[in-house]
Amino acid sequence: MNLLKPSALAAVIKVFLLAVATALLVWMIYTAVLASDWVVAGTLALVLIGANYVYFSKRAVASKFLFPGTVLLVIFVIVPIVYTAWMSVYNYKTGNEITKDQAITQLKQVGLVPDPSGTTYDMVLGKANGKDAVLLTNQATHEVSLGDAASYKILTPGSYTTDKNQKAISATGFVADSPSEIAAASSWLSTFSVPVSADRYVTPQGADVAALMHEKFQFNKDNTQIQDSVTGVLYVDNGNGNFVSKKDAANILYPGWRQFNPAQNYLGLFTDPKLSGPFIGVFVWTIAFAFITVLMMWAVGLTLAIAMDKKIRFRNFYRAILILPYAMPAFMSILIWGGIFNGDYGALNNLLGTHVQWLNDPWLARGVILTVNLWLGFPYFYLISTGALQALPTDIEEAAEIDGASGSQIFWRIKLPLLFQILSPLLIASFAFNFNNFNIVYLLTKGGPTDVLNGQTAGATDILITYAYKTAFGSNEQNLGLACAISVVMFVIVGALSMWSLKRSRVLEEM
Amino acid sequence: MSIAVSKKKQARTPSTAWRHIFAWVLIVFAIFPIIVVVSSSLSKTGALSTGSLWPTDVSVSNYVMLFTNPTIPFGRWMLNTILIAAVNAVISVLIGVFAAFAFSRLRYRGRKQSLQVLFLIQVFPSFLALAAIYVIFEHLYKLYPLIGLGSLGGLLLVYLGGSMGSSAWLLKGFLDTVPMELDEAAKIDGASPSQIFWQIFLPLTTPILIVTTLLSFIGTFNEFIMASLFLQDVNSRTVAVGLQSFVGGTFGANWGPFAAGSVVAAVPLVALFLSLQKYIVSGVTAGSVKG
Repeated sequence: MNLLKPSALAAVIKVFLLAVATALLVWMIYTAVLASDWVVAGTLALVLIGANYVYFSKRAVASKFLFPGTVLLVIFVIVPIVYTAWMSVYNYKTGNEITKDQAITQLKQVGLVPDPSGTTYDMVLGKANGKDAVLLTNQATHEVSLGDAASYKILTPGSYTTDKNQKAISATGFVADSPSEIAAASSWLSTFSVPVSADRYVTPQGADVAALMHEKFQFNKDNTQIQDSVTGVLYVDNGNGNFVSKKDAANILYPGWRQFNPAQNYLGLFTDPKLSGPFIGVFVWTIAFAFITVLMMWAVGLTLAIAMDKKIRFRNFYRAILILPYAMPAFMSILIWGGIFNGDYGALNNLLGTHVQWLNDPWLARGVILTVNLWLGFPYFYLISTGALQALPTDIEEAAEIDGASGSQIFWRIKLPLLFQILSPLLIASFAFNFNNFNIVYLLTKGGPTDVLNGQTAGATDILITYAYKTAFGSNEQNLGLACAISVVMFVIVGALSMWSLKRSRVLEEM
Repeated sequence: MSIAVSKKKQARTPSTAWRHIFAWVLIVFAIFPIIVVVSSSLSKTGALSTGSLWPTDVSVSNYVMLFTNPTIPFGRWMLNTILIAAVNAVISVLIGVFAAFAFSRLRYRGRKQSLQVLFLIQVFPSFLALAAIYVIFEHLYKLYPLIGLGSLGGLLLVYLGGSMGSSAWLLKGFLDTVPMELDEAAKIDGASPSQIFWQIFLPLTTPILIVTTLLSFIGTFNEFIMASLFLQDVNSRTVAVGLQSFVGGTFGANWGPFAAGSVVAAVPLVALFLSLQKYIVSGVTAGSVKG
């Protein structure tokens, strides 16, 4: 077995790949550190250390084989699942997407409004200590001050000179700009402001005038109350991610922040009439759809399997054609069917010369979805039923015939229960798949028809996953927290179904 | 016994007739959309006229439009799809066969538990976490635009995340069938696990790895939901997202080119599927008999 000598080439390839991965990771960590993103930087550092440990250590043999897949699985599957659960307990939607600190910072930046005192200044542009600065003369009191982007100080008489209108034109340590510099100053003037006190600023109003401004919103010490300095309205933290007017609950300040509120999304699904109405309707249709569709597919697939169980003529030809729906890319078949059933241009209406709006009537649309899904699924059920039929012990049938059972008795009383038992794990898997069959609903009807005029958010054919998708990425409001709560409900249902079917099939013990 | 046989013979003629009728009804059902899409793609207006499945205005203009109209970069979509499906298939099968080898041949602490955890995780379709994936990749975009939201790179990472769950399980079944004696003999000769893997297992399982790679290719080609979440820009779309955007908007005007695009994309894929039919059917039926 000289084949099995350690090869130098393999070692070189291994070191080369590790070097590339290390370089890439170091660069990515560097980028994350620059952005002060410690979560990403820390995660990547762990991956970096892990990779180098696993592949240079003589131990950890199994880890060498499991490492790449495990890293990808943890970061891109497990983390999103955990993050889904985390998001689901927050009030996390359009207008409430950032942290409270970020929201307060943004509110503080909302705007500066003119100070009630109406103070204005004559302004001379220039430099002080090498930085852009302005020499200001209060137009009412003729008090002179010098300011830059970080500081403001009142000058004592004698340290500046004025013109005949008492406007300061030069000062010690201040170099006035030349006309060409003034012409170029608009680039920094637009974002320039001089902090006078904690919430007051002097901002330029052109190249030679400035005004005293203050922040529109004034916060109390611990940021629990905001006063609008213009209208005088007092806003308080409502405990659910927003500052809301004390007097008028509809007067809400945006942006809000994502607020920990574990009950809202989950309880809302069942108690808030705006949410629970559509949710319960969607929930019932999801189960009905998954159940009926599996039943239909299996009924047709099994009947076909029985029909083709005998060596009839053209069997191979039939088989080759009947497997086509399974071979076609499913998304494409659904889009094609959607075109066929289109009420305005669809091929079916064209062929029949009718004008039926197949997808605009709730019950017709549901029927269309079931029909198309039957088309997609019956070949698969035909294949698995054929397999199961062949696996049936033949002696049982013979014994039943000897006992005088009729053909239909043998089928209904003996074969069908046996088939059901053999196929039940696959039937459950198919139920779980259709429970989450996003493509059939989204690509065919987009969940519609939706009665928008009556304010409905869910359509007649929406199932949970498409409803969650719309809730998360809908056009008017994106409620990510609620979408995640719906996802968690689905996780629980799919998980329970799968566990139940796994327990039955005893896969977990066999490993 | 003889009574039963004669009974069967009596029943034969009618019983064959219903079999043929049932098969033909389903054949009509099965091929109806395929005929519609083929004839629409060959019709200049893309529309069928009343009572006729064959277009009266036969033309290949829809096919020409696919590759010449700059507003529908169909060629680009095909390239994107082939690229991401191929790269994902190769890497995910490699990751899968690595993991499957460890699960099948190496004995280490926590093996059974890790298998159970993996099995439970792969039960959940990854798109259930789509809102979280959206937020995570929106964040990553700010740091690394090449793997952020909107990029094929980010989409590839999401696909690869699932590869441990899907490929590893499938491949473990195949590796379990390789006789133990082979690697035991190699071990006695002093081979390390990685030598056993690269020099014995990989050559032995190459055919099945190719089949798995092709199946994964078909699977990615078919994927719509994640791709539509990631790929908003018209030039970065896959065929699935692109064709959907075709018929999503002004439906009537695009039905002809959509049909042509479907035919162009479906033919190689259906051919690939049918050539792998043996493996797919045996995999599917094995699932049914095992329970």
